Amino acid sequence: MSAMLDVQNLVKLFPLAGTRKVVQAVNGVSFTINRGETLSLVGESGSGKTTVGRCILGLIDATSGDIIFDGQPMGRGRDIRSKALRGRVQLVFQEPAESLDPRIRIGATLAEPLRFLGVNRADRDKRVREVAEHLGLPARVLDQYPAELSAGLQQRAGIGRAVITRPELVILDEPTSALDPTARAEIVDLLIRLQAEFGTAYLLITHDLSTVRFVSHRVAVLYLGSIVEEAPAEALFARPLHPYSVGLLSSVLLPDPALTRTSAVRLEGEIPSPIDLPPGCALAGRCPFADARCRAERPVPVAVAPQHFVSCFHHDKVAALDDTTDNFARFQEDSARLLSVGAG
Amino acid sequence: MSGSDGAMLDVSNLWVGFPSYGEQTHHALKGVDLRIAPGEMIGLVGESGSGKTTLARAIMGLVPPPGVVEKGRVLFAGRDLTALGDEARRAVLGRELAMVIPNPRAELNPVLPVGRQISNVAFYHLGVSRKEADRIALDMLRAVRIPDPERRFAAYPHELSGGMAQRVVIAIALVCWPRLVISDDATSGLDVTVQSQVLDLLQTMVREKQAATLFITRDIAITAHFCARIAIIYAGEIVEVADTRSFFTRPHHPYSIMLLAAFSHNPALRARWTRTEAAGGVATGGCAFAPRCVRRQPRCTQEAPVLRQMAAGHDVRCHFPVDAAA
Repeated sequence: MSAMLDVQNLVKLFPLAGTRKVVQAVNGVSFTINRGETLSLVGESGSGKTTVGRCILGLIDATSGDIIFDGQPMGRGRDIRSKALRGRVQLVFQEPAESLDPRIRIGATLAEPLRFLGVNRADRDKRVREVAEHLGLPARVLDQYPAELSAGLQQRAGIGRAVITRPELVILDEPTSALDPTARAEIVDLLIRLQAEFGTAYLLITHDLSTVRFVSHRVAVLYLGSIVEEAPAEALFARPLHPYSVGLLSSVLLPDPALTRTSAVRLEGEIPSPIDLPPGCALAGRCPFADARCRAERPVPVAVAPQHFVSCFHHDKVAALDDTTDNFARFQEDSARLLSVGAG
Repeated sequence: MSGSDGAMLDVSNLWVGFPSYGEQTHHALKGVDLRIAPGEMIGLVGESGSGKTTLARAIMGLVPPPGVVEKGRVLFAGRDLTALGDEARRAVLGRELAMVIPNPRAELNPVLPVGRQISNVAFYHLGVSRKEADRIALDMLRAVRIPDPERRFAAYPHELSGGMAQRVVIAIALVCWPRLVISDDATSGLDVTVQSQVLDLLQTMVREKQAATLFITRDIAITAHFCARIAIIYAGEIVEVADTRSFFTRPHHPYSIMLLAAFSHNPALRARWTRTEAAGGVATGGCAFAPRCVRRQPRCTQEAPVLRQMAAGHDVRCHFPVDAAA
C-alpha cells in the first residue's frame, strides 16, 4: 500500500533581498506518512520544521521536490484550497488565542470549514454539536467567545475546527507549546483518542519532546533543514544514534531530580545560520565526533535497523556510548509508582 | 519566624486583591509566605491563573491596577519594599532586584538596538560612561552566548529569533549583577537545548554572586533540576513547600501529584488524579482545590486547611495529604 503522504527531496530556499545569498530552510527532506499514523518532526527553532509543514499545505511554494498526497502531486493549482482537497488536510496552530477569530463565537468558528464545503445549515449545527461532545467541550462554550475560554479550551476548539471536516491528515504545528502541562496532557489524550476513532494521520511539528514519544509512531529529527535521524518513537528515545538526537534528548528535563542529563554529547551554542551552509555534515561545527570527512562530505541516511535511518558517519561510535540510558522509560516507571498510591 | 535572619527576600502574609465593580474582590494572593536565602534558587510552580505572576509583580511593587496589596510585607535585604516611594523603588529595581519576563518581543523596545537596551540599564544604574556601558553590554551578550555578539549588538528585536530575544532579556536583567532575580516563566518559549544552556547560566550566576532567585514556572520538571526548594501555588495560596529531593520523593498534596501526573503518559494513572465531573470553579468556604481534588471529603468543602509540617522542611496545606504509606 502506498503512503498517504509522500514527500521526496523537498527543498525550500528563501532568497535574501539585496544579496545573492539564500536561506537554505529545507535541504532535501524526504518522508512518508501512512493512513492513521503519526509522524513527528522535531528540531530546534530554525531547523525548518514549520517550513516543511507550510510547503505541504501549499501556503508557500517549495523550490523543488515532490509532495504526493493520496497518489497525486501537490503544487500549483492543487493545494488545500483547491476544491478537490478542501477539508481533507487540516491545520492546528500553536497559539490557540491568536488562531481563533475573537469576534466569532466558538460554535460559528467550528462550523466555518463546513460552510466552505457547502454543508447546509441544519447539518452544520448537528455536526458542530457532535464534534463538541467528542472534544469534551461543554455545550455553553459554543456560545462563548475565545477570550472567555482558558487556553486549554481554546486549543480544543482549534482542534475541533480542524477535525470537523473528518480530514485524512492534520498538520499540528506546536499544538501544545502554549499550554500548561496539565492542559497539554489533556490535549495529547484527545489527539490520541481522535486518531483511534477516526484513523486520522498526524504530522506533529514540535520541539516538545516529552509528548512526542507517546503520541508518535515514528519520529524524524530535523537539523538545519535535513532529517538526521528517523526511527520508530520507542527506538529513537531508547537508543538515539545521531549525535544531535543524543544531545537533543538529553536536554529534555523530566520532573525527577535523580534523572540527570547525560553528558556524552552536549550541544553548545545555537543552531547556526542557514545562510550559505558549508559542505559536509550540518552538525560538524557542534559535534564532538566530527572529523575531516564530516566537514567535507555530507552523510547520507544509512539503515541501522528496520525503519531506523541515521545520517552520520560515526553512528557506531554513538552506539558505543554507554550512558545513553532511557530516562523517559525510567521516569514512566518511577512516576507510575508515585501515582499508583493515594488516589480517591 | 519573625525578622529577616539573613533572608534576601522575606514575604509574609501577602494579600493582593483585584476589586471588581459590583462584585466581590478577587483575591489573587491569599496570605503568601516565602523566604529566599542568598544564593538560593526557589521554584514556584503553578498553572496559569494561580497567582505566580501576581506574586512576582507584588514583590516588585508593580501590581497592575486595579490590583492592590491589601496586607502583608515584602522585605528585601531587610528593607520593606511595599513602603518604598516610587523614586526609591526605581533605584532598586533593575539594579538590585531584576525580573526576567516571558514574551521578550513584547517587552523589548522595537525601535532601539538590543545592545543599547542592555547598555542603558548599565549606564543608568552603574553610573559608568556610555563607552563602558557598551562594553559591559557586549560582555553580557557574550555571557548569554549570543553568537556573533558584535553584530547582534546593533540588531533590532525583530531581527532576532525568539530564543535570542529571550537571552537579551536575561542579559538586561543580569547586567547589574542583581541580588535577587525573579524569573517569570522566562524559559518556556525556548528550545530544550537553549533552555538548558540558559538555566545553566542563571544557576552559575546565582552561585557566583550569591544572588537569590525566585524561579517561577509552570513546568515542574525544570525545578527538579535547578532549584533547591520548590513551592506549589494554587489559587493564590502556597499548598506545598519542600526541599526538592523531599518533594519529588513523596509529594503530599493531591494538586502536586496532579501536576506530576501530567508528565506521565499512562492515561489510566493520570485519570485517577484528575477529577473530570466537577466543572472547575473555586470553592468559597473550604479548600480552594476541593472542586478538582480526587481525595475530597466533606470536611474539605467546609473548612480551609492550613499549612502544616509533614517532615522537616516539608509543609503541606491539606486535610488529607497523601502519605508514603497510603
